[in-house]
Amino acid sequence: MANMAVSRIKREFKEVMRSEEIVQCSIKIELVNDSWTELRGEIAGPPDTPYEGGKFVLEIKVPETYPFNPPKVRFITRIWHPNISSVTGAICLDILKDNWAAAMTLRTVLLSLQALLAAAEPDDPQDAVVAYQFKDKYDLFLLTAKHWTNAYAGGPHTFPDCDSKIQRLKDMGIDEHEARAVLSKENWNLEKATEGLFS
Amino acid sequence: MKVRIKSWTGVATWRWVANDENCGICRMSFESTCPECALPGDDCPLVWGVCSHCFHMHCIVKWLNLQPLNKQCPMCRQSWKFNVH
Repeated sequence: MANMAVSRIKREFKEVMRSEEIVQCSIKIELVNDSWTELRGEIAGPPDTPYEGGKFVLEIKVPETYPFNPPKVRFITRIWHPNISSVTGAICLDILKDNWAAAMTLRTVLLSLQALLAAAEPDDPQDAVVAYQFKDKYDLFLLTAKHWTNAYAGGPHTFPDCDSKIQRLKDMGIDEHEARAVLSKENWNLEKATEGLFS
Repeated sequence: MKVRIKSWTGVATWRWVANDENCGICRMSFESTCPECALPGDDCPLVWGVCSHCFHMHCIVKWLNLQPLNKQCPMCRQSWKFNVH
C-alpha cells in the first residue's frame, strides 16, 4: 500500500488507542491483518437511543489512496436504522462519500457513525423499508431497533412477543434472520409476514 | 587582555512557524517532510491557505487536484485559496 496511507493509519491507530473514548469503552479499533489495509472498529450504541447497550462491529477497508479518499466502512453487526442497510450493512453518510476531507481520521469517522445512530436522517435513506417505518410508525421502529440491538449487538431489552413470532416462522422452516427481517418489515404482523414468505 | 578573533563559523537552526505541529493531511510533523520526500526544507515546503490552515505543499496540492469541483480546505471546508505572503 502507498506510503502515506500506511504511515497515516499507524499514527491514527495510536491516536485512537490514546483517546478518551477508548477509556470510556465507547469506541474501539483493532487490526485484522498485518498490512494495515483492513481494520475492525466497534462503537457503543449511544445513550437514549434504541441502540443503547449494544456493541456494533464495523468493517473498515483503507484504500491505497487514503487519506485522499475515504475509508470504506460498513456494519458487520446487523442493525435496524434508516441510513444503514438491514441486509448488507452499507452506510449512507455524506462524509464517507462526497463530503470526505483529508483531515478526517478513523476516530472522527467512528464518532460520526455514533452520532448517526443518535440522529437518523429518514429523508436520505439507505434502507427504504426502515425509513418508511421510522416516519410512519415510530413506536414500532423503536421496538424493532431495540429488538435487533438485543438480537445482534447484545442489547439489554428482550421482547418475548417478537421472539415467539420469530419462533413460529422458524417452526415453519424459515431461517431465523430471514424471519426477523420479514416480521420487522411487516410491522410484526405475523399473518402478513407468513403471506409474504409463502406466496 | 586583548582577544583577537582569527576566524568564526556561524551556526543557525531553522524551523517552520506553523499554527500546528502536524500536517492535517499526512499527519507527519511539519519539522519533517511529507511521506514522499526525504529532505525537509525548501524541497518540501509548507503552504498556508487564506483560512490560515497550513499543510505540506505536496499534500495540499495532491488533495486539491483530486477535488474536481469545490476545492476546499480539508480542515475547515472553506474554499481554498493560497495565502501568498
